[in-house]
Amino acid sequence: MADAAVRIRDVSYAAGSVQILSAIALDFQPGRFNVVLGPNGAGKSTLMRIAAGRLAPTSGDVLYGETSVAAFDMTALARRRAFLSQNVELTFPLAVEDVVLMGRYPHYRGVPSLKDKEIVARALDLVDMTARRHQPYPTLSGGERQKTHLARVLAQIWNDEESAEERILFLDEPTTSLDIHYQLHLLDTAREFLKRRCTIVASLHDLNMAFDYGDRFFLLESGRLVHEADSARAVPKDLIERVYRVKAETGEGGYWRFRL
Amino acid sequence: MLRRLTYGQVYLLLALLLAASVIASASIGAFMFPPSAIARFVGEGLSLLPSRPDDILDRNVFFILRLPRVLLCGLTGAILGVSGALMQGLFRNPIVEPGLAGTSAGAALGAAIVFVFGSSTAFSFASPLGTAGVPLLAFLCSFGATMLVYRLSTSFGRTDVFTLLLAGIALNAMCNAGTGFLSYIARDPQARNITFWNLGTFTTADWRGAILVGIAFAACFVLALRHGKNLNALMLGEDNAAYMGVEPERLIFRLIVINTIMVSVATAMVGVIAFVGLVVPHLLRLMRSSDYTFLLPASALLGALLMEIVDIVARLVIQPAELPIGIITALLGAPFFLWILIRERRSDTYG
Repeated sequence: MADAAVRIRDVSYAAGSVQILSAIALDFQPGRFNVVLGPNGAGKSTLMRIAAGRLAPTSGDVLYGETSVAAFDMTALARRRAFLSQNVELTFPLAVEDVVLMGRYPHYRGVPSLKDKEIVARALDLVDMTARRHQPYPTLSGGERQKTHLARVLAQIWNDEESAEERILFLDEPTTSLDIHYQLHLLDTAREFLKRRCTIVASLHDLNMAFDYGDRFFLLESGRLVHEADSARAVPKDLIERVYRVKAETGEGGYWRFRL
Repeated sequence: MLRRLTYGQVYLLLALLLAASVIASASIGAFMFPPSAIARFVGEGLSLLPSRPDDILDRNVFFILRLPRVLLCGLTGAILGVSGALMQGLFRNPIVEPGLAGTSAGAALGAAIVFVFGSSTAFSFASPLGTAGVPLLAFLCSFGATMLVYRLSTSFGRTDVFTLLLAGIALNAMCNAGTGFLSYIARDPQARNITFWNLGTFTTADWRGAILVGIAFAACFVLALRHGKNLNALMLGEDNAAYMGVEPERLIFRLIVINTIMVSVATAMVGVIAFVGLVVPHLLRLMRSSDYTFLLPASALLGALLMEIVDIVARLVIQPAELPIGIITALLGAPFFLWILIRERRSDTYG
């Protein structure tokens, strides 16, 4: 088996007396679009936060390559992985390119280098926001805001060198509250980024979309890992029905239809 | 207004205006010194020019009274401006400033404790212990008040504006009551002057105060400037800041310490001057950007500039007496504050 980009080793997490994750063990493999599935409250977000090193597990460990995530200093960790959450609050009038530049903060002290500025320009280009780079962030639509933040996290883990170590991009329900155009755009852009020695770990609610974009699936139910699969077809229908509490049928082109 | 200018050009513009306001502030007052006289005094003071005997009185007034006042005034304005920017970044809210969050009132209480109990024992403000004691106790009380307001109003990385305002009101009332009580029981007539504490003034400015405030400003400003990027990252919330390599808990603690040191030293010397910290960063946001790497230096310059202008007004309006400067800043700042509050409420309802 190939080396894991992120190895979750027997991670449990309890908040007070509530057990949120129970002995999760899994590998997010390099260069793949890993998708964490599960209904609300299954522990997806907690798992993502622990995997990103923001939350310390109650027991167990997270490894990036051979190194425990707890052993990284904050800046080194920020160069290695980035995290896009669903709704980023920002009410201050900052220009779009200034928001994207934040992604480069872990890479420079004082003033940004030419390389940092170039990466910001390329990230803006990648999300088609170059024309709006001077616009104040609060005047953007929800979809444009999320594009700006996507450019920010991509700039953070931009990988130009062949020899550089694997970067990890966490997407925590990134498409929530976006219209279908922006959803597809975001996932396409992220998928394109896989080519730059990057691993994606995403949690998604839309199962059809997840099956379209992902190439490795992890299904959580009440804080436990109940299934791992390499393709949508390998996810058993009855399991989906049980975990999500719906009736499912596969239709044309392998797409799922759901009813209560 | 300044959107087309680079940050450097804005700094230059503000610096030129500040230089002009310093010269104006140094010339205007009960004794008028034209700029040519000021140049002569400075030349004589530095022994570059022969000392003219008929200048001695004017020169003493200039060097002992006017110059330290002008410097103290500019430095205090710079401190309040930077403090406003820091606190707004910290609370992630544009309506915070040291006068609202208990920082200034706490400092005034701490300073008053040393003043009042200091003069009733052998331990006076003029002694070296008193010189250190006033800012030290001012810092402790100010830090306590600010931390309390921060803890009460911010949970899970979100500041609740109404809790913040209410906690600020409560802490200010408590500190003001303490200060009022102390000035009521004080024997020293100067410490009895309650308006000094609640409405700051530069009338008591001297070199010791100017130097102390200058050192506090220089040290804290250098430390604060290193956190411009971190404050920007914090605008996206504590979690997102952490994903970008900032440790939010440590950052917040450090910034509160830096902020409290400079505000408490300034307040111990000149009393509470409200609203400058609110208005200055807000004007800069409207005119240029919310980028903290810009806001911090620009707030220092605009704060100093604004304070020099207000001080000139304070010296002129009821000549030969002068108005406590806090009256003017409150008179101008409070309506500004209400206007921001209305704007904030509107943007809240629009979601």
